[in-house]
Amino acid sequence: MKNSYDIAIIGSGAVGSSIAYHLSETKQKDILVIDKGFPLAGTSGSTQAWVWVHPKTPSWYGELNMYSAELYPILEKKIGDVEYRRTGGIAPFFSESDRKDALKLAEAQAEAGINIDVLSRKEVLEKEPALSPNIAGATFSQLDGNVNPFRLVELYIKAAKKNDVTFSFYNRVHDIQKRKDTFTIHTEKGEFAAKQLILAGGPWTKELGNMINITIPVKQVRGQILVTEPLAPLLKHTIGGIRQANNGEILIGYSKEEVGYDRRTDLDVIHDTANMAVQYVPDLAKANVVRCFSGIRVMPEDGLPIIGNLPGLENAFIASMHSGITLSPIVGTLMSELIFDGETSIDIQNYDIQRFEKMKA
Amino acid sequence: METDVLIIGGGPAGLNAAFEPASNGMNVTIIDESFSFGGQLRSQTQYFDHLPRPFNRERGTNLSRKLIDRLLPFDVDFLPQHTFVGKYKDGTIGVSHKNEVIPINAKKVIIATGAAEEAIMFPGWTLPGVMTIGAAQILMNRDRVMPGKDAIIVGSNEFAFDVVQQLKDVGANVHGIVESDSQMRLQNSQKIEAFKNLGIPLYVNASITEAQGKGKVEKVFLGRNGEKINLDVDLICIAGGLMSILEPFEIMDCKLVYNQALGGWIPEYDKHFETSNQSTYVAGNAAGITSIGGILTTGELTGVSVMASLGVLKSEEAAERKRDLWHQLYQIEGIQRPDTYHARLAAIKDFNTSKDRTLTK
Amino acid sequence: MDQSTIVCRCEEINIDEIETAIKMGAETFDDIKRLTRCGMGPCQAKVCMNLVRQLIYDYAGKPLSDIPPARLRMPLKVTRMETLASNDSPSSSSSVISVFNESASNQGGDIREK
Repeated sequence: MKNSYDIAIIGSGAVGSSIAYHLSETKQKDILVIDKGFPLAGTSGSTQAWVWVHPKTPSWYGELNMYSAELYPILEKKIGDVEYRRTGGIAPFFSESDRKDALKLAEAQAEAGINIDVLSRKEVLEKEPALSPNIAGATFSQLDGNVNPFRLVELYIKAAKKNDVTFSFYNRVHDIQKRKDTFTIHTEKGEFAAKQLILAGGPWTKELGNMINITIPVKQVRGQILVTEPLAPLLKHTIGGIRQANNGEILIGYSKEEVGYDRRTDLDVIHDTANMAVQYVPDLAKANVVRCFSGIRVMPEDGLPIIGNLPGLENAFIASMHSGITLSPIVGTLMSELIFDGETSIDIQNYDIQRFEKMKA
Repeated sequence: METDVLIIGGGPAGLNAAFEPASNGMNVTIIDESFSFGGQLRSQTQYFDHLPRPFNRERGTNLSRKLIDRLLPFDVDFLPQHTFVGKYKDGTIGVSHKNEVIPINAKKVIIATGAAEEAIMFPGWTLPGVMTIGAAQILMNRDRVMPGKDAIIVGSNEFAFDVVQQLKDVGANVHGIVESDSQMRLQNSQKIEAFKNLGIPLYVNASITEAQGKGKVEKVFLGRNGEKINLDVDLICIAGGLMSILEPFEIMDCKLVYNQALGGWIPEYDKHFETSNQSTYVAGNAAGITSIGGILTTGELTGVSVMASLGVLKSEEAAERKRDLWHQLYQIEGIQRPDTYHARLAAIKDFNTSKDRTLTK
Repeated sequence: MDQSTIVCRCEEINIDEIETAIKMGAETFDDIKRLTRCGMGPCQAKVCMNLVRQLIYDYAGKPLSDIPPARLRMPLKVTRMETLASNDSPSSSSSVISVFNESASNQGGDIREK
């Protein structure tokens, strides 16, 4: 293994691996990806992996998600079958009084070209008969879907390796220094030099930022998810909170707790999640739950991605976002443009880390 | 539900752990996922020697009844078909029974969930007709079903020979015992003599290379120093040894440690059998694989420790009782299974050293 | 041993698939689980965990004492959803939220501050 590279990426989850793959497509750069663990051991391996567009606001943020979803079919042609399915997405509401919010959402998202239907109870049940008749309605969009996160990360890495990217797993970064034009990355397995540095450590990006004296304004948020045994096809769509995987397992959960890096699960959230499952899809009452898992997700302080240059440190970049699975194709593409061309095809000014400073000021 | 002492697992360790607290007036709750109590003893018709007082040489099935009967006069709640499923944020235990989860608040928890049998892998090991010796024993002695007519046993520990005898008793032909080591693992000279009288071939330095059959085992192929042997059998019993069941310890936040002589991964515990979680104790095979005498003695030790920690026993009296029980453990386990006994002492010492280090930090 | 020998019977994962994951750099049972689904079936790794740990030892030479057990998850036994739904969280505020309420009723504002 060499110890000098053009680009070092820290983090090999969906975001870091996608950036590595997209950068490697031209085979012009020597790229190293460092991860403190093994791929899928962190956030990317503990998600329901919705490719989720329609309820994301403000609309310009929804638009970014839409573009990324549009890239998935092309990505699959390039890296292989990641089991991307554009199922359409349903976000149910239970009170008729929510309908005006749903209509407002549809109107706002239409500006960005995101088509949302606001469905009546009857329309929801026609589309997805397994949903509860207690539902008042739902927002629906054709754009949403889901993907197999395990295949996604594995195939990003395989494709990047084919393009000669070097991966170093189980290699924790202890410190990062910059002298002249070179970053020196001190790791468990030795020192590596790189001309450009990309931080894609998900929830652990905060620690990476500390090493180069930059505050990364992100929080850690835990989500707990229940998994059933494989069931016969029951859900056709990706439901806000629930989806059925290709093998028939149903994943349920939408919880947020700020507990640092604690990845335990607990019966408190399991009970509430099971109640949500039965409230949304009554037939799930008879389903067997085989396991519960949790993931620590990164949450920028304003909820929106942080993508772009790091201020005051030339050739250092960051890509940190909550919706890493949905956004990985577009973020890989944009980072590749930023590094090769110095500019991006889509304006990413809104995602600049300096917005947090401005907000404070 | 509230209780002084919750015991998870109603086998010999759990039942014996209950006696001291219960006979001293504490409320003890014992849960077991099975329909009845006694654990593996319920299917063990063989005689056990070297039992601690007040027990004498006894069949497993009878011992099971005695362990239960001596708890009946006291305030002990036996909860069969109650399964430990998890823990709440505040430490309350969750136990499932029929269609509900019952929260149980206990001052102290004793985990006595015992051991699971190890699998052995070879081509065809997943065919019906391949089972652990424990499973064969349950079929014969609990369900009164003959597990097969023509059997072969893989592994030559004491338990394997007990099952050979029981297979013969129900009329099965045992065509051989296969041991990968150069000699049989059984060391009990009485049992070796009894085995010799049965005239069953012992294949040492041998292992199964394949099991074959249409939908079930019909044939087994053995390899011994390059020589191939094939036998027509419909039952392959695996005596692959035991490993502690670990799930409850992870849920209770108990640290684990690897100790080969005690069966692999086990919870860390001190000389009072208290784990790294101060409300949680361990007893029996869950604290490292041992003999029935070791299981009963560690159970009693744990019971005394729990009483002492709750202030029911004066500390001097408790210290004396524990000294006696450790001496008893030495006399039983230290002589029958010296490797186990010394590994246990070493593991306890290591745990104390690491505790001291944490305290001085 | 034949590479097609099954290791995980629940998900029908064979030795070859396990070794491919180890070649990719997997060092623990859980690393292999996420790549192959080994141990994700109804038995939740109870049968195959030590078989896989042994394969890691055989293939990568890592001592068994350095190969941790699988991460074990609630509910410890396969449990009906209705059983898990028989109670609510004892705390008054739930951390389980509605996707719809989180987004649709928060337009224009900071959507994550709920």
